[in-house]
Amino acid sequence: MKDNIVVRITDIKRTYYMGKVEVNALRGITLHIARGEFVSIMGPSGCGKSTLMHILGCLDRPTSGDVKLDEVDVDELDDNDLAEIRNKKVGFVFQTFNLLPKLNAIENVELPLIYAGVGFEERRRKAAALLETVGLKERMYHKPSELSGGQSQRVAIARSLANDPSIILADEPTGNLDSKSGEEIIRLFKELNHKGITLIIVTHDQEIADHSKRIVRLKDGLVVSDESVK
Amino acid sequence: MINLAEPLKIAYSSIISNRLRSLLTTMGVIIGVAAVITLVSMGEGAKSYIMDQVGSWGVGSNSITIQPGEENSHTIEMNMTYADAQALRSKVNNLQYLMTEFVGRGRVNYGKKEYKPGYTLGVSADYPFAYKQGAAEGRFFSHAEDAGRKRVAIIGKTVARNLFGEFSPLGENVKINGVGFKVIGVLEEKGTMLTYDMDDMVLIPSTLSPLVLGTNKIWEMFMTVNSEDQVPQAVQEIKKILIARHKKEDFHIHTQQGLIDIINNILNAMTGIVSAIAAISLLVGGIGIMNIMLVAVTERTREIGIRKAIGAKQRDIFFQFVFESVLITMSGAVIGITVGTLAAWGIMDWLKMSAVIAWGAVYMACLVAFLVGTFFGVYPAMRASKLDPVEALRFEA
Repeated sequence: MKDNIVVRITDIKRTYYMGKVEVNALRGITLHIARGEFVSIMGPSGCGKSTLMHILGCLDRPTSGDVKLDEVDVDELDDNDLAEIRNKKVGFVFQTFNLLPKLNAIENVELPLIYAGVGFEERRRKAAALLETVGLKERMYHKPSELSGGQSQRVAIARSLANDPSIILADEPTGNLDSKSGEEIIRLFKELNHKGITLIIVTHDQEIADHSKRIVRLKDGLVVSDESVK
Repeated sequence: MINLAEPLKIAYSSIISNRLRSLLTTMGVIIGVAAVITLVSMGEGAKSYIMDQVGSWGVGSNSITIQPGEENSHTIEMNMTYADAQALRSKVNNLQYLMTEFVGRGRVNYGKKEYKPGYTLGVSADYPFAYKQGAAEGRFFSHAEDAGRKRVAIIGKTVARNLFGEFSPLGENVKINGVGFKVIGVLEEKGTMLTYDMDDMVLIPSTLSPLVLGTNKIWEMFMTVNSEDQVPQAVQEIKKILIARHKKEDFHIHTQQGLIDIINNILNAMTGIVSAIAAISLLVGGIGIMNIMLVAVTERTREIGIRKAIGAKQRDIFFQFVFESVLITMSGAVIGITVGTLAAWGIMDWLKMSAVIAWGAVYMACLVAFLVGTFFGVYPAMRASKLDPVEALRFEA
C-alpha cells in the first residue's frame, strides 16, 4: 500500500552562520503534505519560508530533523542522489522564471528530460505536449526574451512538469507578473491540481493563498498556524 | 551510464553563441599552433627541396665521396693521387664508376675574348654517368682520350654563352690557361643549386690537370657501387686500401647517408627550438583559457544553479565545462593548423619551393591542444560542478 503522504518532514532545524553570527532560519518544523494537496506557505520575509522551500526541494539539507519525500529518506542521500531526486520528484517554479536565455521555449522544457537521460525524439514529443498543455503551442521556438512574463512563467511550469514529479514547488510564482497574468498562472495551477498534481506555493499574497486548499503560516522559523481554506 | 553527447552539445552551443570571445580566448593556441605548423611545413619543404637538388645533381644513395684530409681537420693536406684512384679502381668490389676530380681556376680565351669560369675541373670519362650529366651538344671524351691526354674540353652553358653567344662552340679552338683545347661538347643545363651556377664550368681530361691546373693532387673522388646496401662494405674496403697506401687515415669518406643525417640533424634542431617556443605559447594560451573559463563559471553561476535545480548532477556540469574548454582549444588548433599550412604554402611559393604538410606536427598539435584544453579546463569545471545550488540560484550577475 503506497503512503498517501508525499512530504513528511519531522522537527527540522536549519542554522546558518553569517560570519560568526548564528542564524536559526528554521527552529523545528513538522509538516505532512498528502498527495494531491494544494498548500500555500505564508509568512513575512525572514520567517524561513525560502529555507523551508529549499529543503522541501532537496536543494538544501536541514541541520537536524528528518525529510521524507515520496517515501525516500532524503537525509541518507549524497549530492548526486539529491540531484536525481530534484530531477525526478520535484518541479521548481521560480519568481524570476529562471529560464536559460539562450535556449528557446521547447529546449528549456527539455532540460530536465536531458538530465533524466531521455532520448531526443521522446523528449521533443513530451516537451511539445507540455507546452500545449500550458497553452504555448504557438510559441515553442521563441526565446525567453521574445516571451511576456506570463508566457515565460508558463514555460517554467511546463518545465517543472517534464519528469512527472511528485510535487511542484512554486516560490512567489506571480511576484514578477501583472495581476492579469498572475490570475492566469493561478488558474493554470488550479487546473493542474485538479488533475491530481501536488502543489506547494510560497507566497506572501493572501489573495493567491486563498486559491489554495490549505495555508501554513510561518513566523521566526516556526509554524504558527496550519488550516484548511473554506 | 554517463551520457557525454549532451554535455558536448551544450558546450558546443555555448561556444557558438560566444563566437568572438571564444576566438579571442583561443588566440594563444592559434598563434602557437600556426607558428609550429608553418615552420615545420617549411622545414619539411626545404628538406625535400634539398634532397631533390642533391638527387638532380646525380648523387644517389649508392654514392661515396672521398676527400683528402682528416675529418674535421682545418688544414687540408692534398695527398690523394691518380695512382690511389687506379688502386681503388682495380680493388674495390661492386664498383660502378670512379671519378677523380681535380679543381683549379681557369682562364679561357677564344680569339680575343676571355672568360673565367667558376670552376675548371679535370675529370675522368665516367663523369657523365657518375653525375648523370651528359653532353647536350657534341659528346663527352672517352677513357682512351683521358688516358691519351687529348686536349679536348666540354663547357657549361654559361661559359658557352659568354664566349660564343648564339653560335655553336663545337669544334672551336680555345686556350685554357694558355694551353690549346678543342671544344667537343656542351654540358646539359643544370641551373643553380644552393646559389652555385652549375653551368659555369669547364671540364678537361683528368690527366691534363698537372699541365693546365698545376696540380696532380685529387680534390675529390666520387664513386658509385651497384646498390645502396653495398655502400658500407665498399667504405671498409676503401679505408683498408688507402690506409695501406698512405700508412695513415689522412682522408675522409662521405656517403649519402651521412649527408642526409646532417640535414636531418639541422632540421631536427630547428624543430626542437620551434617546439620549445610552441610549448611556451601553448602554456600561455592554456592559462588564458583557464582564466576565461573561470570568468565564464562566475558569469554563468545562475545558469549552473538552474541546471542543478532541475536535476543536473555534478558530473553533468563538470563535463559541460571541460568539453567547452577542450572544444575551444581544439578549434584553436584546427584554425592554427589551417593558418599555419596556408602561411607555409604562401611563403614557400614565394621562395619558389613547395611546402610539405607536416602530418606529424598536425597530429601532435591536435593531441597537445586536447591535453592543454583538458588540463586547464578541469579546475574551472570542478569549481562549477561544486557550486551550491541555493547560492548559485541567488547569484545576480
